[in-house]
Amino acid sequence: MNLATHAPILAIAVPLLGAFALPLWGKLHRYLRDLWLLLVGGFTAAMAVLLSARVFTAGIQVYTLGAASPGETVASGGFPIRIVLAVDALGAFMALITVLVAVVALVYARRYLAEEEGKTLALTLGTLLWAGMLGMALTGDLFNFFVFFEVTSIAACGLIGYRTWAARGPEAAFKTMVMYTAGGLFVLLATAILYGEYGGLNLAYLAAQIRGTSVDRIALGLLVGGLLMKVGAVPLHMWAPDAYGEAPAQSVILLVANTQVALYALFRVLFTLYGGVADPAVGWLVVALGALTVIVAALMAVVQTDLGRLVAFGAVSQIGYMLLGVGVGLTVIGARPAFGLVAIQGGIFHMLNDAAAIGLLFLAVGAVEKAAGGRDLAGLGGLGHDLKWTTGFFLLGSLALAGIPPLNGFASKLMIYESAFRLSPILTALAILASILLLAVFLRAFQGVFLGPRLKPATPVPPPMLVAMGILALGVVALGLFPEFFVRHLVTPAAEALWQGRDAYLRAVLGG
Amino acid sequence: MRLLTGEGYWNPLVWLAAAIGVVLLTAFVWTRGRRDYKRGTEQDLPFLSGEKMDGAHVGGQHLYWGFVEGLRPYVERLRAFHTGFVGDYMAWLVLMLGAVFLIVLLGG
Repeated sequence: MNLATHAPILAIAVPLLGAFALPLWGKLHRYLRDLWLLLVGGFTAAMAVLLSARVFTAGIQVYTLGAASPGETVASGGFPIRIVLAVDALGAFMALITVLVAVVALVYARRYLAEEEGKTLALTLGTLLWAGMLGMALTGDLFNFFVFFEVTSIAACGLIGYRTWAARGPEAAFKTMVMYTAGGLFVLLATAILYGEYGGLNLAYLAAQIRGTSVDRIALGLLVGGLLMKVGAVPLHMWAPDAYGEAPAQSVILLVANTQVALYALFRVLFTLYGGVADPAVGWLVVALGALTVIVAALMAVVQTDLGRLVAFGAVSQIGYMLLGVGVGLTVIGARPAFGLVAIQGGIFHMLNDAAAIGLLFLAVGAVEKAAGGRDLAGLGGLGHDLKWTTGFFLLGSLALAGIPPLNGFASKLMIYESAFRLSPILTALAILASILLLAVFLRAFQGVFLGPRLKPATPVPPPMLVAMGILALGVVALGLFPEFFVRHLVTPAAEALWQGRDAYLRAVLGG
Repeated sequence: MRLLTGEGYWNPLVWLAAAIGVVLLTAFVWTRGRRDYKRGTEQDLPFLSGEKMDGAHVGGQHLYWGFVEGLRPYVERLRAFHTGFVGDYMAWLVLMLGAVFLIVLLGG
């Protein structure tokens, strides 16, 4: 069997089946469970990286399930009836982000989670969430997309609420579940509408058929509404601080990646599925929600007294920057000015930067909670005496998130600022104001938690947790010092897949 | 090494070199400072309105106090929307869906 040819389905199937087998290994012995997780995680990461390398070097990869050969996307009647995985540079980019986050989360979880506190369950749900995210990023089929949307929703809610002995965890999981279910139903209804209208579920086929009728637009509204909820755009963000604030740290970074994958899905719908009937009004909607999300979440972060919720609002605000950048590109895609592509590049680059920076912050919050026994800002102080590495990591993440040069957040924000300015200077002013607010908020938290006299001795942070944070810190620095390298090799192909890659995507799946 | 940003470019290595220059200059100024400072003496105590408080800690909630208080009227209005009730979250979802429908049906 040629692994490279089958990499798209292996990257999804291995973690999906591996997750279900994990509790069985756990019943035998925890070392067998950890070994199984290492094998499943390592193989999945290798397949995703291999697939991405093929996409970035050879172009779009398609894989048809149940066909005589994986490239046989269209059945004998000239109709794409089988399930097709279609991976372009943007899908590959998202797959790489999930690999980075999942690997870091698994390393961190090794010592962060206690055996008696449902470690096997958390690892199972985390692997399942990874499988769902990869499925959403790689699928070329609308119904399959809905299925993976649900897989990620169920796994995410499980991760938020599995600590049933903590009162607020299950409550946050319930709220998230209600919102995810409503969003999922919108996506399912839109899928049914498009299937009823065109008799197909393949994304490329539907994209070729959509003419912009009223029914098409109703389906678009449902898809946009459902995905904006999962993205956590203001005013649909309220579940996010609850969920991020209550889930264990290694789960939170997976939840953040899950949000980004939902953002990817929104972009796929707007640029590929509905790219043929692009409407600037929808672009303006995305821009407006981006600006609103950036500023509202930053303001809400100012008054938080819980370190976890403070970082959670910081995470929500970063989603706003991504919406703003890509929204600017969507608004002007008809005229295709150069700044539109830069805006999309900035938005997509910020996804990677955010995964590293906000991931680092959430892991540092987890380390603080474990070491000091709490996250209330009023009760924390002087942790820098005992947690030197964690102190450095938190400061690094804070500065990166606030967009302080030369760290990674600055490069992508600069691209967004400059391109959004061309659309409206007010957008740039709001984005910069939010960054200033976030800098103040995070410096305030840093001073309060890590500086000052030692209030009480803190438990040392275990080495695997430091290694996990170290990986992300390295990413923050590398992305910040060499942004051109990452933009040229990863971000630009992904941005061009949105900007001008729709026809290539349709040709790769439908032929011709 | 230059990242094109639309209107110009960004080179973090040049910025880093400049930052190192500033740090060296700061270090030079620092070496020219007072030499009677002693670590671990009362010179280390925080100055809190003239009170000498050994081991006092200015907690996180005290920092940027004026900044936070200035923003509080605006933030409190936003906070009022964050009720924590899932029914309200759903109401926002319905409102948002209505706005999205208006835009996609009437736009373009």
